[in-house]
Amino acid sequence: MKLILNDIVKSFDKKEVLRGASFAFEKGEIYGLLGRNGSGKTTLFNCINEDLRIDGGSILLEENGVKREVCPDDIGYVLSTPVVPEFLTGREFLKFFLDINVKKIPDIKPIDEYFDFVKIGREDRDRLLKDYSHGMKNKMQMLVSFIANPAILLLDEPLTSFDVVVADEMKTLLRQIKKDHIIIFSTHIMELALDLCDEIVILSGGVLEKMEKDDLSNGAFKDKILQALRRDEND
Amino acid sequence: MIEAFLTSFRLKNTYKANGFIYSLKSIPVINRLLPVSLYRSPGLKIFANFVSILWEIISMFLGKMLYLFIIIFLLKDHMKSSPANSFMHMFFFLTITGGFLNTHIFHPTRDKYYAIFLMRMNAREYTLSNYFYFLLKIIVGFLPFTLLLGRLSGVHIVICLLMPLFVVSVKLIFTALALHDYVRTGHAKNENKLDPVALVGIAVSLAAAYLPPFLGYAMNGAVFLALFVISAVIAVFSFLYVLKFPEYRRICKELLTADSFAMNRKDMATRATQKSLQKNIDFKATSSKSGYQYFNDLFVKRHSSLLTKSAKNITLISLAVLAFSIMACFLIPEAKPIINGMMLTFLPYFLFVMYFINRGKVITQAMFMNCDHSMLAYRFYRQPRAILLLFTERLKSILLINLMPASVIALGLPFLLWLTGGTDNALNYVLLFVSIIGMSVFFSVHNMVLYYLLQPYNINLEIKSGTFAVVNFFTYFVCYFAIGKKVPTLIFGTLISVFCIVYIAVALILAYRLAPKTFKLR
Repeated sequence: MKLILNDIVKSFDKKEVLRGASFAFEKGEIYGLLGRNGSGKTTLFNCINEDLRIDGGSILLEENGVKREVCPDDIGYVLSTPVVPEFLTGREFLKFFLDINVKKIPDIKPIDEYFDFVKIGREDRDRLLKDYSHGMKNKMQMLVSFIANPAILLLDEPLTSFDVVVADEMKTLLRQIKKDHIIIFSTHIMELALDLCDEIVILSGGVLEKMEKDDLSNGAFKDKILQALRRDEND
Repeated sequence: MIEAFLTSFRLKNTYKANGFIYSLKSIPVINRLLPVSLYRSPGLKIFANFVSILWEIISMFLGKMLYLFIIIFLLKDHMKSSPANSFMHMFFFLTITGGFLNTHIFHPTRDKYYAIFLMRMNAREYTLSNYFYFLLKIIVGFLPFTLLLGRLSGVHIVICLLMPLFVVSVKLIFTALALHDYVRTGHAKNENKLDPVALVGIAVSLAAAYLPPFLGYAMNGAVFLALFVISAVIAVFSFLYVLKFPEYRRICKELLTADSFAMNRKDMATRATQKSLQKNIDFKATSSKSGYQYFNDLFVKRHSSLLTKSAKNITLISLAVLAFSIMACFLIPEAKPIINGMMLTFLPYFLFVMYFINRGKVITQAMFMNCDHSMLAYRFYRQPRAILLLFTERLKSILLINLMPASVIALGLPFLLWLTGGTDNALNYVLLFVSIIGMSVFFSVHNMVLYYLLQPYNINLEIKSGTFAVVNFFTYFVCYFAIGKKVPTLIFGTLISVFCIVYIAVALILAYRLAPKTFKLR
């Protein structure tokens, strides 16, 4: 399975943010999308998720050699600032989510198993989401994105709000589920990207470019990425 | 100090000008005519600066003129005391009210925060120079109008000339007192949050301004002069105190941080709404339903204090008014024909009443704040099917909530009509009932459909849709316009019932067709 971006163009007013971005993301890999502030990472995600209409190009999903349009059920999008319905408890939110997606989720498990999966403690499951910490809200948001089992997972700066322990848990979790998904992970923390991701893709000057590590050392690879990112300045 | 003032003035002017350009940019057609780099464009900048300075000058005079004209000059003719004495009397006590309301120094504003904490200007120089500018504006702004309106009221010219100075004296005295209070308590009072003492002071001075002249006891010129001299003397000492006061930075720090960072009134109001929307989630409520019904059921129950409580209160009040009217019919026979006549001709008035008691707007705001602004981030929640399912559920809830008070009124009016002697045409009973229910359903649908078609809010509950503001204003205007119109119930009732039915049908069709596309985050 592949997510194929073809010549994506998107501008705001007269500012061209994406200038023909093309890339093929494959299943089983975690892609680290690196870019400078304002380079258009979130815009790209919003385009893939159809929150923004693209001005040109195409976004297709290739399955067994057949290309088709991406549909809503294909995508799970985790925002950098977690948003959850604050008047529900964690358990109620999950119940609601499972209720309405009952036909789409192949093997629904008991709710507590899902909580166990992301390590939300028993004592927290029946508290209002309003009283959850930032990190816990983020876990909930990730959880509902995972449960529906979408082919594509877009994670926008997801680990920045976690403490080191939880961040490590989430990394393990992402590695666990990666074989069934196309995971694109946007960040501007290079260490995180190098640590977690199998491939580094940079968004610079409105286009996507894969960074080949070849046989570079970690230090040299970092320099290569930095150089590529700096090119934006010279445009 | 003059330099400090000029710097702060330029700073204030710059962001006022940028604010002006920003609002120009948000007007659809003009937006296209403006260059992208418009904050840099010199011509526009000069124009914006010009507008900003012009506004500074206008506001110096306009507010004071309106103040003197509307709440003093126009009212003086309704007083028993002579116009001249009433004018002086009201001016005197209202100035004291003003002392409680605004001393400038304790008024937290954004520009102060920018200047003192972001730009690191000297707090004392900044505060004092702006304070003196504030006093100067009082003198310049008031003088033409105390002269004009004072003379027209027959006040002696000397007193007219002294009046602006009196305002300045009072401001100085109140400022000194407030500063002294800070030294004593270590706590800076925030003028956007008045303490009980100030509230009592405001109430007393307001009463003192209007009541005595109304009853014929207003001060004369001699008393005004004597009081002026006393206040001027105290003001001189106050001035010295204000000038030598050493702790402006500390005051600013307290005033311009944390809670009071919600610095202008709009922010405060927004915060208050946000807070009131988010508090009191009733944790105990549960639901046995499933899916979207479950979701909506919990939403309504968890927010019952916000959604249903006031509807219940309105229902109780309606019951009380109804009971009172029934009692009146029995106790005062003369009331009967009056009430009977009202039932047959005052139905338009109920358009405003029904508009006023409808909770639709608050409910949609709560839906947005406490639910949709986060849930709309989820793709599944934005699917057409999901939007329409929830729309239906919500519409049911909102209708039920609003029908609580409406049913009392809808049943009460025909009952009153019958009790006060009835009518020749039995259709009137039906029309009263149907049109009240119709109006209640109309406003509920109206609010829900507008919310789903325009989704006008952003996270601060600021209305971001011009159409929404216009439609809202228009609705209000029509309802307000209906007040006092006497139209036979037979005609108005028929018209409004037909209108409601047609509108509801059209609105619902539109909502089901368009909401999946229009209901989204801004």
